[in-house]
Order: sequence, then C-alpha cells, then structure tokens
Amino acid sequence: MNWLAKLIAGRSDGGIQDPAVAEALEQWRALEVADPTRPHFETRYTVLNTEATGLNLEQDSLLAVAAIAIDEGQIAPSQSYYAPLTPEPVVTLANLLSFCGKGPVIAFNAAFNRSMLERAFETHLGFVPELLWLDLYVLLPALFPERIDHPARLADWMNSFGIETFQRHHALGDAWAIAQLALAANSRALSSAYGSARALADMERMRRQLRRQS
Amino acid sequence: MTASAPEMLVGASSDFLKRFSPFNRMEPEALAFLTQRAVLAFHARGSEVLTPEMGQARHFYIIQRGKIQSRQTGATAVTEYASMTMGPGECFPIGAVSASRPSTNAYIAVEDSFCFQISADDFMQLMQMSPVFHLFCTQYIASLLNQSRQQLQTTFSQRAAEQQTMTTPLLQLVKKKPIFVSPDTATRSALEKMAESRIGCMVVADPEGHPLGILTQSDLLPRLLLPAFDLSRPISDVMTANPHQLPGTASAYDAALEMATHGIRHLLVIDSEGRLQGVVSERDLFSLQRISLRQIRAGIESANDIDALQRASKDIRQLALNLIAQGIGSEQLTQFISALNDALTRRIIVLAQAHHDLYGVDYAWVAFGSEGRHEQTLSTDQDNGIIWICPEFDQVGPLRARLVAFAAEVNKHLAACGFPLCKGNIMASNPELCLTLDEWRNRFGSWIREPDPQALLNASIFFDFRVIHGNERLGDQLRAWLNKTTKSNSAFQRMMAGNALQVVPPLGRIRDFVVDDDGTIDLKKSGARLFVDVARILALRTGIESSSTVYRLRQAAVKMGVPPEEVAAIIDGFHFIQLLRLRSQHLETEHGSPSDNKINPDTLNELDRRILKEAFRQARKLQLRLKLDYQL
Repeated sequence: MNWLAKLIAGRSDGGIQDPAVAEALEQWRALEVADPTRPHFETRYTVLNTEATGLNLEQDSLLAVAAIAIDEGQIAPSQSYYAPLTPEPVVTLANLLSFCGKGPVIAFNAAFNRSMLERAFETHLGFVPELLWLDLYVLLPALFPERIDHPARLADWMNSFGIETFQRHHALGDAWAIAQLALAANSRALSSAYGSARALADMERMRRQLRRQS
Repeated sequence: MTASAPEMLVGASSDFLKRFSPFNRMEPEALAFLTQRAVLAFHARGSEVLTPEMGQARHFYIIQRGKIQSRQTGATAVTEYASMTMGPGECFPIGAVSASRPSTNAYIAVEDSFCFQISADDFMQLMQMSPVFHLFCTQYIASLLNQSRQQLQTTFSQRAAEQQTMTTPLLQLVKKKPIFVSPDTATRSALEKMAESRIGCMVVADPEGHPLGILTQSDLLPRLLLPAFDLSRPISDVMTANPHQLPGTASAYDAALEMATHGIRHLLVIDSEGRLQGVVSERDLFSLQRISLRQIRAGIESANDIDALQRASKDIRQLALNLIAQGIGSEQLTQFISALNDALTRRIIVLAQAHHDLYGVDYAWVAFGSEGRHEQTLSTDQDNGIIWICPEFDQVGPLRARLVAFAAEVNKHLAACGFPLCKGNIMASNPELCLTLDEWRNRFGSWIREPDPQALLNASIFFDFRVIHGNERLGDQLRAWLNKTTKSNSAFQRMMAGNALQVVPPLGRIRDFVVDDDGTIDLKKSGARLFVDVARILALRTGIESSSTVYRLRQAAVKMGVPPEEVAAIIDGFHFIQLLRLRSQHLETEHGSPSDNKINPDTLNELDRRILKEAFRQARKLQLRLKLDYQL
C-alpha cells in the first residue's frame, strides 16, 4: 500500500483491507483498559522501542518496532515482538498493538518513540491508540539518584547496572537493555511507594514540571 | 523474514550462558530448551530470592548479573559462619529443586542482581534430556574436579608430546650429518673445522667412515692448552682412541646407560657396517627424559654415589610432570613423589652408613611435616629426625654424637639432591632432634602438658612423624604412646583446635577471595593447612595411627559416623588445593623461578576459581565442625 492509496482510502478503518488485521484491531478495541493503579507485579508492562532513519522527528521515518513484555516482574523471551515497518506497516503496527494490549508501556526517551509511533499509527491504521506511557529517561534518575541524579543516556544507565545487550542501536537489542532497566525500576519504585503505573506516571509528570520551572 | 524477536532474545541468553560451565558443554537442544524457558527477574540488593520458609523450591536460578549470598540457616552462630557469595553463571538451589524440598539455605541478593529462572518441572526435564546437566547436578563438586583435571591434562600433554620416549632409536636423535677428519689431519685444522661447524666434539675416522677416535671440547684444556701441544701434529696423537659407539638401532635408554656407566658425554652412532652415522650428546638425551617409575627406582637403588642420586632426583621431577600430563590425581601423584623421595632418602642413608660406625644401634630415621604426611610437593625442605634406643651398657652422649655426625652427612646429601636444608634446623643432625624414644616421649609430653603457642606449633610439625628407614617399631611405639596421651587430654585437643581455627579460609563476603597484599593466596598457609590441622586433631582424638591427612579424615569419619559423601567432598577439596600447588610449582620450576605456594586467583580460569571456592567452602565446613565440637 503506497501513500497515494492510503490518501484515497482516507483516514478511516475502512482503509484496512486485510480482514485478519481488521479482526485484530477489533479485538484490541474490545479490550478493557488495564487498571493503572494495580501493583507492578500484577501489571503487564510492555517495553516499546523504535528504530528510525535518524533522530529528527520532522525528517526521519520509522524503520522497525520492538516490544518486550514484563509480566509479573519477569521477562520471558517468548513474550517479545520485533518487526520492520516495510513491507506491511499495517500488519506490523496492528500486531504491535495486539502485543501491547491496553496495559502501560515503557520507553526510554518516550517523547521521541511515542511521536514516531503515533505518527505511524495515524498514517497506517488511521487512529492513535491511547496508551499510558512511562519514560525511563525521566524515571531512572528519580528512582536511582544514588547512581545518576540527572537524565542520562541509555549507555550510561546500562553501564551503571552492568547491563549488556546483544546489539546496540537495534530496536530489540536496545529494548532488551531497557526492559532490564525497567525490571530494576519497578522493583525500586515498589519500595519507594510508587507501587503502580499510575503512581509512576504522576511522579514522571511532576519531575517534568519541576525541570521546566527550574 | 529475519529472526523473530523470541529467537533473538533466546540467542542472547544462550550466548551469555555459554560463557559458563556446565552450559558451555550442554547439548544444543538442551541449551535451547533451557533458554526458551528461562525468564529473567530482578532482585534488589538486600532482598530474599529464596528462603527455607518459602517451602518447596519451585524454581532453579542462574545468576545473570550481581551477587547472591547463600546463608545457612539455623543457629545464629552457624549462620554467620557458613555463608558464601555466588556470581554470574552460578546456580542454585541444585539439591533442593532436584529433591523437591525446601531449600536449606537462604539466598539473599547482596547487590542489585538479575537471575534467570526456570520452573522445577522444567529443571527436571532438563536433567532428563541433558546428560551433561545431569552429571553437573548430581556430581556437583566431583564433576568440576574432573573437568579441571582434564584441562590440566591439555596444558601438559602438549609439552609431554614434544618429549619422546626413552625407547626412541638413536638414529632418530641424530640431527647433523656426520662430520669427521682423517687421523693424519693436523690438529689445528681439525679444531678449525670444529669451530666452523659449531660442534662439541670431532670424530676421527678412516676413509670408509669407521670411527677411530674422538676429541671433545673438554679434552682441549688438559690435553692441548696446558701441555702446550703442538697444533701441527696429527690429531691421532691427541684423540681418545676406541671411542664408545652404539648402533643406530639402540635406544636412547641404552645410550643414557652407556654414558652414565662410562661417564662420557658423547656417543658415536654407527650403522650395521660400523660406519659413523652421527653423534649423540648427553644434552640430546636430556631433552627426552621420559623415564618410568621403575627405571627411576632401579636407578636409585643401584646408585653408588651422590651424582647418580642427583640425576635420579631430577628424574623424579620430570616424572611428576609426565604424571600430571597423564591426568593423574594429586593423591596418587604426591604418593608417587613421596615413594620415590623415600627411596632416595633410604639410599642416601645406606650410603652414609658405610662411613659411620652404627653397627648394632637400634634407630629409626623419621620424617616430619608434609613429608611425614606423604604430602610432599616439589618444593619441600627437609624435616627429619632420629629416634633411637640406647643399649644398657652404652653411654648416651658418645652414641648421640656418632648418630649426629652420620645425620649431618645424610642432611648434606639430601640437600645436594634437591631437598633444601631446613631453615628452622628441623633436621636429624640437630642434637635436639636426635633423641632416644624416652626423650621423644618427654619432649612430646611437655608440649601436651604446657601447650603454649610454640608447643602447639611444634606439635603441628612433629606429631606428623613417619619412619622412613630403620626400625619401624620405634615409630609405632611413639605413635601408640602419643595417641594414648592426647586422647585422654581434651584440654590439649581444645588448644590445638583453637590454634587450627586461627587461620580461616580466604573466602570473601562480597568478593570471591580474600587475597594478600600482592593479590595472591598462599595455598599452603591458607589452603592445605586448614585441612591438615583439623585432620591431625581428629586423628589424635580418635586414635588413628596414620600420618596422612586423607587417611586421617577418612578413618576419623568412619569412627565419628560422618557420611562418606560428606568426607569425600572434603577430601576432594583438599586434593584440588594440592593439585593447584603442584601445578603452580611445576609451571614455575619450568621457568626456573623458585617455586612457592602462592597463586593469584585472577589468573585461574573460571572453572578453577569456582572449584577453589568450593574447596575453601569444604575447609570452612570442616573448621565449623571443629568449632562446634570444642565449642570454640
């Protein structure tokens, strides 16, 4: 499907030709939104990460998406997803949504990942799914100030925890490292009275406001 | 389509696990089974991963990153003592999960840690599908020991392979084409030819190549230089006629024997027609001394002087190297070394006896310390003494003087054969250690009555005595008396125990090992000694006659009702430390530096480090037992 076809099809669900994809999206819509006040170990989080042609939101485009689930505080290799956007962006994105369900999602530098993904959802699926986004870029220095007390690069956090991954700057490779950081973050959050996704999201919002004010 | 996300993550886990034993040897399908099912979880510093209170162990854990401490639960005193720290690649709780019971230890994260875990059911299935993993789990320490031995073998087998056997035909050892001159050659030109071809000797032969004589470098000084021999005269005037020769089919061993018998350094190799094929030097043979136990033994027993015994002593070291290459364990190895050193010592004593009038004197030459325990490594100095009985009509003083003079010669010759003189003068030539049976009893008795630190130190050396030569009954009598005296004296045993517990295994709480300032561990002082000291006390307490640590532990275990597998693990630990000592001594000796017992744990491979840790844990277990027994 090229951009012209999409343009003609318009930004509605009517543009989804593939019945399997339409079915998957229908199921996703029917899901109940996960209760964000549940404790971490009862919450299924999805670590989301993207791979783009660059870091410029205006010019660069999405190449691939990766997702790793954290369920009951554990990462199981079977609970992971990775796919390039081409040749079937609709299938890729629909699968990604099915994988995430309606639980909270975790990213590192969420602003970029989120914008990239939302634009892709909009373009290819015709809507932007509403998800609860958590950003480790902001949360990690708040939770582990004794390690690094300011927003730092992923490499710095990996270094601090001694975390390794099989391939850096690969959507899934980085997601694997981010997911391990997320395990640590959830554990620390629990003992610091940020026991749910909602509590973490609130804390993240406050941190952002503080930073803007200072 | 490229690899799916689960495939990539499984690949990452399996790459990680392959850095550790036993996963690096695991069957591919078993490793795939494991990594597909292993989930990763985080354990914050200070949190409990698994405790006995959690009930039946439901998961098997493999540490991915961080440190987990295992603490024995129970009485508080025990808890503090029996803890150990595990790092990446290590797994737990093998016993509990395979027996479907609660863990006996509590596992606490001492750092922020990540662990892979699989369910108990998957663990069982993995054991069934993977013989490697099964072996790993059931023979935890034993299998590690084997592997290490195998690794040791590969290190040495290369070197051993370079050595040919002493049965190699001489013709194979000849490296250069034969060089010879005719008998009428001027001596000067013969010497020029020697220098030019860089050879150590010049053969003189007739035109067909039949050897007539030889002139070696060592002949130059006495025959040419000092008498100012006229170099224009023919070489036949100065050569050694009728040189020693052997056919090319003779063995290297024959050549060594010929050289040793006639005291020569070069031997001519000839073909079936008696024509020169080449020259074999002593040095050529030296490089392939792969001599058997029997040969060395025969060599020792037939030796008539110290030179021959010195050669035998070198052979013993060479043999030890070969035995390590063949993968022999440290117990047998130290026994071999011990047996050969005993034979060597006996021969030295017999040779010395010929120079001293000891006719009719009832005495026993005894070894103390590691030699007394059959645990000699390659860098042991002599520790010896004499037990004797003074005949009724003789005077003690003059007789002792004769024995001391005799002992001095033995000590000197032992030193010449590679057993350095004892710096602490623990030698039979010291009149203080050349005592009658009654004097020894008094000496031992005074230590037992007043166990001050020096007495305890003495006890740790002298109580491990063993008769090497002479009347064995003297040793038996002293041993029987000693066991009887100490068995009833629990205060003395307690002092010995307190002394033994002063050195603790160098295991760290956070780091693997506690090292000395130079980054090393002294495997004698903080390794072998831990086992030896406890074994000695157990032997005294249970009245065991052997002086060997392993026998003492085994026999004491039987008497005290310790399960055989428990004592086997302890002995394995002791053997491993001894093996590491021997290995480092060997490698160092080859480089020519003095051997000591220090080892830098950072230079060990992952496997050896882990076994060493396990060995130290066994030492700690042993010490703990002693601590409880004597309530220290």
